[in-house]
Amino acid sequence: MTIDSTGPGAPHGLDDPGETDRPAGRRGVDPVKALLHRHRDLCERAVDPLEIAAGLEAHGVTDRTAARLRHRDVFSLAEEMYARTARDAEAVPSAETPGSPSPRGSRAAASWTALALVPGALGAAVVAGLRLTDGQPRLAVAVSGVLAVAVGLYLALRSGPLSSRHRTTGTARAWTCWLLAYALAGDGLLDAARDGGPHGSWPLATAPVLALLLAPAPAAWCAHLFAARARRRLSASRGLEEFAASVRPLLIGAFGLYLAALFGLLALCGTVLDQPPGYAGAGTLGALLLLARLLTARGFTRVPGRVLAGAGAVEALALVTILAARLPGCSSLAGPVDTLAAAAGPGALPALACGAGALVLLVQAARTLTRASAHAPPDEAS
Amino acid sequence: MLVRIGLLTEGGYPYVGGDAGLWCDRLVRGLGQHEFDVYALSRTERQEDQGWVRLPPQVGRVRTAPLWTAHDDGVVYGRRTRRRFTEAYGELLTAVCGGSATGGPDVSGSGADSAGAEADRFASALYELAELARDEGGLAVALRSESAMRVLEHACRTPGALRAARTARVPDLLTVAAHVERALRPLSLDWYEDDALGSADLCHAAAGGAAALPGLLARHFLGVPLLVTEYGVHLRAHYLAASAQDEAPAVRALLAAFHGRLATEVYRAATLITPGNSHARRWQERCGADRAKLRTVHPGLEDARFAEVGEGLRGSRSADPGALVWVGRVEPAKDLISLLHAFAEIRRAEPGTRLRIVGTPAEAPDAAAYLAHCRALAAQLFPDEAEGVHAVGDNPVSFEEIGGPEIPSLADAYACGALVVLSSVVEGFPVGLVEAMLCGRATVSTDVGAVVEVIGGTGLVVPPRNPRALAEACVALLRDPERRERLGAAARARALELFTVEQNITAFHGIYLEIVSHSPVRRPVVDEEGEPLPFGVPAEAHVPGRWTRTRFVTERRPRWAEGAPVRATEPAQSRTTEPAQSRTTEPLPGQEPLPAADALPGPDSLLAPMPAPESTAGPLSGPGFPPVPEFADASRSAPETLFAPMPGPMAASSAGLEFPPVPESMAASVSAPDFPPAPAPGPMAAPFAGPDSLPLPVPGAMAAPMTGPDSLSVPGTMAGPSVAPGVLPAPVPASVAVSVGEGA
Repeated sequence: MTIDSTGPGAPHGLDDPGETDRPAGRRGVDPVKALLHRHRDLCERAVDPLEIAAGLEAHGVTDRTAARLRHRDVFSLAEEMYARTARDAEAVPSAETPGSPSPRGSRAAASWTALALVPGALGAAVVAGLRLTDGQPRLAVAVSGVLAVAVGLYLALRSGPLSSRHRTTGTARAWTCWLLAYALAGDGLLDAARDGGPHGSWPLATAPVLALLLAPAPAAWCAHLFAARARRRLSASRGLEEFAASVRPLLIGAFGLYLAALFGLLALCGTVLDQPPGYAGAGTLGALLLLARLLTARGFTRVPGRVLAGAGAVEALALVTILAARLPGCSSLAGPVDTLAAAAGPGALPALACGAGALVLLVQAARTLTRASAHAPPDEAS
Repeated sequence: MLVRIGLLTEGGYPYVGGDAGLWCDRLVRGLGQHEFDVYALSRTERQEDQGWVRLPPQVGRVRTAPLWTAHDDGVVYGRRTRRRFTEAYGELLTAVCGGSATGGPDVSGSGADSAGAEADRFASALYELAELARDEGGLAVALRSESAMRVLEHACRTPGALRAARTARVPDLLTVAAHVERALRPLSLDWYEDDALGSADLCHAAAGGAAALPGLLARHFLGVPLLVTEYGVHLRAHYLAASAQDEAPAVRALLAAFHGRLATEVYRAATLITPGNSHARRWQERCGADRAKLRTVHPGLEDARFAEVGEGLRGSRSADPGALVWVGRVEPAKDLISLLHAFAEIRRAEPGTRLRIVGTPAEAPDAAAYLAHCRALAAQLFPDEAEGVHAVGDNPVSFEEIGGPEIPSLADAYACGALVVLSSVVEGFPVGLVEAMLCGRATVSTDVGAVVEVIGGTGLVVPPRNPRALAEACVALLRDPERRERLGAAARARALELFTVEQNITAFHGIYLEIVSHSPVRRPVVDEEGEPLPFGVPAEAHVPGRWTRTRFVTERRPRWAEGAPVRATEPAQSRTTEPAQSRTTEPLPGQEPLPAADALPGPDSLLAPMPAPESTAGPLSGPGFPPVPEFADASRSAPETLFAPMPGPMAASSAGLEFPPVPESMAASVSAPDFPPAPAPGPMAAPFAGPDSLPLPVPGAMAAPMTGPDSLSVPGTMAGPSVAPGVLPAPVPASVAVSVGEGA
């Protein structure tokens, strides 16, 4: 819209014969200018004339006022004001950096950090209890320890960066528990079964499981790091492609950091408990669980659920085939698992299953977690 | 006739304390002869927990759906469905991004056409999305998915998109996508079936925006006519809410365009729209609502509790003749400061006057501070006064609250003063003013919001932020008790006519019947055994759209604004026609220059039983006239005939040259000087026995307006004009313009 310079303030003006009779300079040449000055903020912020009209009306400007300014109504007055406001659309609002965290945020961070340490602490206490007790009390310690650790895990995953607004399905939880149980007892059971057992109790791998129970803390830190950095990239990037390209290395970096921490924990637990740390099986399982949790927390529940179920099923199937091979005529069933265990030890099976699953989830995460829609702020239910 | 109405609300009616809940409750209770199904969208979880109000028996069923949470039905689209979604969503966003919805500054022909094309594009994309949601589900997830984000980014970067949209960054896109998903949640509802909204005869949306969206889809899927009632325009509320939030310009531009398009589509699809006042009406017209669909229905107040005070049975004796009353919520928009300054001037002219400020505490955080500020100012301006040296003094300005011993009820608050003052700078529909009118009090109010429309000619109106004018008006009324009385009586009469609950309900009753009479019956009519009845429904022609409509572009300057102001009608000379011809509600422009601007009778004053031309503001209340806010001639006294039951022709011609009484405009529009009062001759009576029967001979020029869509409902109307010229004994004036279509 071009403004007629000869009739300032009156692009829609009426041809009023009284115009010339008015004493000059009484109200200035341009009555709209004062109004523009008074509502400068409104006009500069407005995205269309109707917004100015709504704002003017909220400030008490009526059609009568507009008529005094030689306009037909507030809408036409607002149109003039909109057209006359110099508005630089390219003024990029300063990229607001999520600067120092608010005290409330830091308190929340402290709380979830403490909660993330709970399962590890409980696990350590249970392991110590198991070492110190024997017989009936030992069984009691084991049972109560398992329950306590389950509660601790629930608490650790309920808040903080690993928490999920989306309902995790019961089957995914069950498969997770199965995978952890296999990490604890599976290798020993497999060995015993291959030898025709189990005869009585078989050795439990407590060191890898303790490391896995300690791992929620670094996992939460890495997830938090990833989320915070991704948010910062989000507010800085102008396009979806650009955002995806900048987040992908971030994801890989956070994942690598977590893996390093996990291997450190494994080595530590192995040394302290004087057990084989089981780097391959426990490491891949930890990676699988972290990726599944990251995806679930952002609403992608389908693929992690299937992958967890697949890995758990492979492990269960291995045990079943070994046991089923004792049935007459089914001895060939044990062949593949036997070969694998003979070649690379019993830990190779969970490593293979969880490693394949983790790889699938890593690819999936690299595809989905780099999307902008995965980092949308939570919908506030106003 | 029983009409089944699907009442659509959002955050409103059946929930306790919802928006417009009182109005809906009164409407449903007042129309017990109809059946209501309530379809309610809840706005927050807390609202859902609070429960419902008691529902009258005419409410058949209530269906609710949450707007505050998205229902994730776990549907993930396959490739073909996803393509269908991205195409529809892309169309929708292209229409949104493609420029301002409600007309930019240039409204040349091509601009209007392209705006129309964009609106069509938006509508068809919206319905396509709704069909997708109905067929496949999963729309909420799809609208937040990455493909939706890609579509949005593409639409923003397209050449020709809004300038602000091109600056959108990724967080802005996320915000917009989330907001659009929230706004389109009604698309995923399961209400669009034959046993839900399909069973209603009409949908009545109690507000615009989200509440009207189900009605829009019911109309699209099932052909149910839609009535939209807006007491506050949704789009305007969106602008005000958006400017309060600190969003990026791209977000605000996109969302404003989206809501603008949505409003345009709602107005386009609605069969009738009822704004609550002329302010809402102007916004709706601005957003593309067809004028022929608009019927202003003022909100109604319960008049019973003001009856005793209004009729003078209670309170008028205790009223202090020197007291001004201000009643309302104490907040900055009410401009009590200006009132206090005006009161200082009033006391200079009339010492001994008192000002009673009856305030209800407002919830806003700054309200308390404002009240304290006002008290301090009052104490500063007015020292305490006492009767004598031995009495305890008191401040002439008192701040009181309803519920105390002196003012037990709201009506008593109005009763305790001689004059009610309203000093707001911002006002929507002034409820307090209507209450004062119902109490029969003379009022002085500022010219804001719908005040002029409400008060008509029955009170004084001054410009806002003008304490001196306010003071002068108050002093003028304080010194003239008779005039006060006259104005108060006229105000009460006007309020009883226009702003009662009964008026509101009757209007909606009529509108329901009007809509139902124009929409064809879609259901098969069955007999007792459940067999379809052949010819149970009369065959009728339903013509979609309006085929006699002339295209009306709102943005163009209207005819009356070109050139100097003109008088609407001839000065009254012959008033021999009967008042029954008062169907002309539009004064005719373009005949003679006006002697005085205040002689224009607006449509409102035509409806009023007795418009007292006391103040200049009253007759200005017609929506179409250039306003002249002047207060100076308010002292002109009214002719005595004002309170005659109905000013006859003689009274009007003796007193009415300055102040034309009610029937003048239509009398003068028949410009033949000695036109006979002429009851219709015999042959004419039959064809015009329909709803629009006119007791005057029908000239040839009548043929044109009678061919409007309304006349289709009157069988045999078309025969009238062809018979008329031969039969009529009277001369046929060419300028009879009776707008038959104006049914309101």
